[in-house]
Amino acid sequence: MVQKVLEIDKLKVGINDDGNKIAIVNGISFSLQKGETLGIVGESGCGKSMTSLSLMGLLPPGVEWLDGDIKTESLHFKDFKKKDWRKIRGKRIAMIFQEPMSSLNPVYTIGKQIMEMILSHENISKKQARERALEMLKLVGIPRPEQVLDEYPYQLSGGMRQRVMIAIALSCNPEILIADEPTTALDVTIQAQILELMKKLQEQLNMSIVLITHDLGVVAEMCDRVIVMYAGEIVEEAQVVELFDRPRHPYTKGLLSSLPDVNEEKEYLSSIPGVVPAPGKMPAGCRFAARCSFAHERCKNTPPLFEVNGSKVKCWLYENGDSEAVL
Amino acid sequence: MIAYVIRRLLHTVLVVFAISLLIFFSIRLTGDPVTVMFSAGEPTKEAIEEVRRNLGLDQPLYVQYLIFLKGLVTFDFGESFRSHMPVMDLIMERAGATLALAIGGTIVSILIAFPVGIISAVKRGSIVDFFGRIFSLIGISFPNFWLGIMLILIFAVNLKWLPSSGFEGPQHLILPSITLGMILSGILARLVRSSMLEVMNQQYVSTAKSKGISDWAVIIKHAFRNALLPTITFLGLQFGSLLGGTVIVETIFSWPGIGRLIIDAINQRDYPVIQGGVIFLAVIMVVVNLIVDLSYSLIDPRIKTGGSGRA
Repeated sequence: MVQKVLEIDKLKVGINDDGNKIAIVNGISFSLQKGETLGIVGESGCGKSMTSLSLMGLLPPGVEWLDGDIKTESLHFKDFKKKDWRKIRGKRIAMIFQEPMSSLNPVYTIGKQIMEMILSHENISKKQARERALEMLKLVGIPRPEQVLDEYPYQLSGGMRQRVMIAIALSCNPEILIADEPTTALDVTIQAQILELMKKLQEQLNMSIVLITHDLGVVAEMCDRVIVMYAGEIVEEAQVVELFDRPRHPYTKGLLSSLPDVNEEKEYLSSIPGVVPAPGKMPAGCRFAARCSFAHERCKNTPPLFEVNGSKVKCWLYENGDSEAVL
Repeated sequence: MIAYVIRRLLHTVLVVFAISLLIFFSIRLTGDPVTVMFSAGEPTKEAIEEVRRNLGLDQPLYVQYLIFLKGLVTFDFGESFRSHMPVMDLIMERAGATLALAIGGTIVSILIAFPVGIISAVKRGSIVDFFGRIFSLIGISFPNFWLGIMLILIFAVNLKWLPSSGFEGPQHLILPSITLGMILSGILARLVRSSMLEVMNQQYVSTAKSKGISDWAVIIKHAFRNALLPTITFLGLQFGSLLGGTVIVETIFSWPGIGRLIIDAINQRDYPVIQGGVIFLAVIMVVVNLIVDLSYSLIDPRIKTGGSGRA
């Protein structure tokens, strides 16, 4: 029996400009299972980062929660006051960011930054917190952890800093780890190490991971299930093998075909023509239609998310399942 | 670290030497001090010569300079032409008052500007921010003599709560400190606001928020500590100039400070006092700058003074 740890219900996030609401994330719904890694993929500006930030209640100034809810078994995030968010952050949902070089505070030691997290959620002494911090550094594979505890971020490399970020994030045993492009800023060998580490710790601690990325390679490596976002909406949701074997939405196909293949000699990489429409200037109907080579009359109306053999796809081509989708 | 401090102190010696040259020769371009001394009546030639001899002004210029330089090494700036008191005593007598006023003004400006700047930045675009910015603008554009006189009128003349002049006790410090501090706090609040805004956008502030700590812990511990660096630089420079440049406020409040001592000495062409006063201020300025530089490494571990350690 799979256990849902988080359910996102018609979440709508956007700019409220004097009552003129412009949605950046437009009513998306999905759930997160215990122990799974859910990938959220999409181009820059598709709303994937906003989705992850709203899970933490950390929307940037000017961006508001417009509608919908995020739920756990007993909690409704939409009713949260500041105090409630603080109990969730770090304790139940933790986050690591894209830029390890700038996500640690330059003026405090590594130990202090890990301890701060522990002390704000757990009622233990500073000495105990320091011991826990040391354990965490060992857990994420930092060499000479005793010394690093008293070092400053500038004394560590990018990969080491990202390990420290993971140590901070996991120090209070969260159920969910949100990783917003955790390896984008790292070079490839370090990337692999960090992904490996996340995978190992996930199994060890049995937590769920929401992995935000635009890197389909990372998705294939890490994820169990994938959500593809386009212009603030979910266009496809599928198990990872299914998505790579049988992509359904034309946008997903476009993304996959723009990946280079080592077995194939191509002069040019294929790309999807056009750009993502800006929030507030969304076309009526299917938002991808203008860039879609399969667009037809029906696309003037917004398609629902059709269920097709265990996957979900927001495209009229799948109105009657896979059978009629002649592509 | 110690090598760095020693290097900087040697640097100070050079600075003092350069200033001694500059001040010694430039004041001698302003005219003969002896003629000013006999403002009343028509002095005889003999009388003038007599005074010159007594003051050592009959010697060739380079000899005068060497005598001055010799005194400098032993911290002896000579005697005032007017009062015939040792210049060092005159300065020391007034240094306390000047220092007290500079510290008072700086503390007032910090007490006002830090909260205003921080809240303005945190509540950016709100009505609080609007008033904070108006306040800064007023602070920057108000003439301090006007503010000083207003404070005297209200608190000394009408309410009779506080003394209006002199320096005889801590209560004398209040009005001049507020006058200086208010003016300073305008610029300081702006600086704090803009540094805070810059820092609040940093990724580590998001990290801090994601830990579930309180908003104020994020703002003060994580953002403000990082915003402090440019602020400390400004405060250091400002403190240096407060020591020498508070003449207007010193005049309004009849404050027995160094600023007024120098101004009076300039009016009377009292060479030793001018030389001593200027050199004293220069040394203070250099020392304050050194303290500012050293304090950087306390705030930000990335800055290691002296260039040793890991890059």
